[in-house]
Amino acid sequence: MATTTEDQNQSSDGPLQRWTQSAIQDPDKVYRALFYAAMVFFLVTTLFPFYWLMVLAVTPEGNLLSGSFLPTINLFGVSGTFPLPVPKGFNPGAFVGVFEQVPFHLYMLNSFALAVTTTVIVLFVASLAGYVFGRLRFPGRALLMLGILAISYFPPAAFVIPLFQAFAGNAPITVPFTSIPLFTPPRMLNTPGSMVLPFSALFMPLSIFILTTFYGQIPDGLEDAARVEGTTRLGALFRVIMPLSAPGVATAAVLTFIAVYNEYFFSSIMATSPEATNWSPIVGGILSYQTQYTTQFNLMAAASIVGVLPVVILVVVAQERIVSGLTSGALKE
Amino acid sequence: MSTETGRESRRSGALVGVMRWMENLSDTWYAYLLLIPVFVLLGIVALYPLLRTFELSLFALSADFSSTNFVGVGNYVGLFTGEKNRYLPGGTTFLPGGFSTGALLNSALVVTIIFAVVSVFFETLIGLGQALILDQDFYGRRWIRAAIIIPWAVPIVIQGMIFFLMFNSNVGFLTPPLADLGLLAPTNTLNDTASATFIVIVADIWKTSAFMALLILAGLQSIDRGLYDVAKVAGATKWQQFKLITFPLILPTIGIAVLFRSVQAMRVYGIIDTVSSCTVVPSLSCMVVATFTTREGTSAAIAFVTAAIIGIVVMGLIVWQGEDAI
Repeated sequence: MATTTEDQNQSSDGPLQRWTQSAIQDPDKVYRALFYAAMVFFLVTTLFPFYWLMVLAVTPEGNLLSGSFLPTINLFGVSGTFPLPVPKGFNPGAFVGVFEQVPFHLYMLNSFALAVTTTVIVLFVASLAGYVFGRLRFPGRALLMLGILAISYFPPAAFVIPLFQAFAGNAPITVPFTSIPLFTPPRMLNTPGSMVLPFSALFMPLSIFILTTFYGQIPDGLEDAARVEGTTRLGALFRVIMPLSAPGVATAAVLTFIAVYNEYFFSSIMATSPEATNWSPIVGGILSYQTQYTTQFNLMAAASIVGVLPVVILVVVAQERIVSGLTSGALKE
Repeated sequence: MSTETGRESRRSGALVGVMRWMENLSDTWYAYLLLIPVFVLLGIVALYPLLRTFELSLFALSADFSSTNFVGVGNYVGLFTGEKNRYLPGGTTFLPGGFSTGALLNSALVVTIIFAVVSVFFETLIGLGQALILDQDFYGRRWIRAAIIIPWAVPIVIQGMIFFLMFNSNVGFLTPPLADLGLLAPTNTLNDTASATFIVIVADIWKTSAFMALLILAGLQSIDRGLYDVAKVAGATKWQQFKLITFPLILPTIGIAVLFRSVQAMRVYGIIDTVSSCTVVPSLSCMVVATFTTREGTSAAIAFVTAAIIGIVVMGLIVWQGEDAI
């Protein structure tokens, strides 16, 4: 396309002018240029922070505080500040140091354990609920779905005070608005239970809505056929409907896993001290670098990179599932 | 029913009994039976705490710290009259003490609302831009999409660490240039309320724009492509196509996305705690966490006010959007 316009404008001088000329004749070209400019802009803004982490992580500790990360460069006699930070030296030792200073792998293991446990619980409970909402017609269905939606809108702060008191296990739980004691709960702070329980309730609504959509799409005939073959009602759910909705189940699983791995509020409150032995997840691991090793910025950056790797891999591998889940589930709400 | 013959008979008697009982339930009873786990879980972790928080918010610690007294709506009145401000950390007030910038940014309520409004506004704009790009067909679209989604999947604590490291007074390279522009305080940036609020908002926009983009993208992809062919034949420019076809058709989707994000933005806590601190950028959730071990009643009242504000936002958007919002 460029060559045809070029022929008509042989008198024009300079590539910019030529491009402008051709762009005037073909406005699509401007849109395409704008499109690529915007794309590059978004790519740079989303990925730049990770580049900055890399720069910090490989800079030797001794060089961290001396001089600027924006080097002054001298190009053809004009000196200016290079607009991109570059590492001051190279020492990848921080990636080993991360595991030595603080048992960061244990924090990550805690995060994994919490995320997997929560995902299993959520998938089981949300499958039952998704089956009910997606395939059964019964009085109160709309009201119950609205109730679950309403609960998911409440801020975690509205749940945390009584939960913290209950998990501390100091006083018996009473029926609200009375002083009738029910039972004294065991002390659960610093155990997985105090985090898995709130996580499950917090992230279940999204999974319920995703699975409701997917289970509702399975044709009735398939379930009927399984039932005629002699499967029980529950068997039909777990042996026919769930496998047929495998993409939906995978979507709910991936989103729940990421949500738990990313959670901050309950992770930081229910593990009262940021110690790996107290089931503190990566929140505790990263924060202990911020509070204990206040000048070892290379370790903070390296820990962040290590901590973010699992979800980056998950996003690259499962992006189709994430996109379909967020769009179908969230928009259905 | 004939399902109990054959394979069922090999199982133990009790299980067969339960199965038979389950098979014969009506749809309604079966539905409620399957929902029991949901009810139990949400009852323990959501409904009970919610009611109990409300109950706690009606009580206040007595003067000698020995017991709690019923004060009715006293805690709420105290919050709105400023009497409870002395329990909030770092000289924070609940309502703004005046209309100067300092007084406004010292108020937990105002900071939370500013954070929600500004971040959701820019996230919507940027998300729309990203969605329009991802809606096109081009080589390598899969990778670009993955790159744009990644910030959404970054744990809050790491997102906070990234922005802490970018603006830290020792290594943060972004502070001097932005301070020259007058956007940030040149020294002690992360302990300056206005600067830290700015940074926290930027951090949130960085992380959550992708989420908006995905929601809007779903709306974009449900538009009938035939409409654009008609527009092309009619001689509409790209801008006219966007203004007259794309935008009106995705407006409901944008509405839902904004609702969703506003609700989440009102809860902001983690990013503040990591980048700066709750005394510097006082959000409502921050105040709940900072006071709940010492002043239960006040803390519970703040928590409930937060929930009420979110409820009002949700109601408002539902009324604006009509039926589409649910």
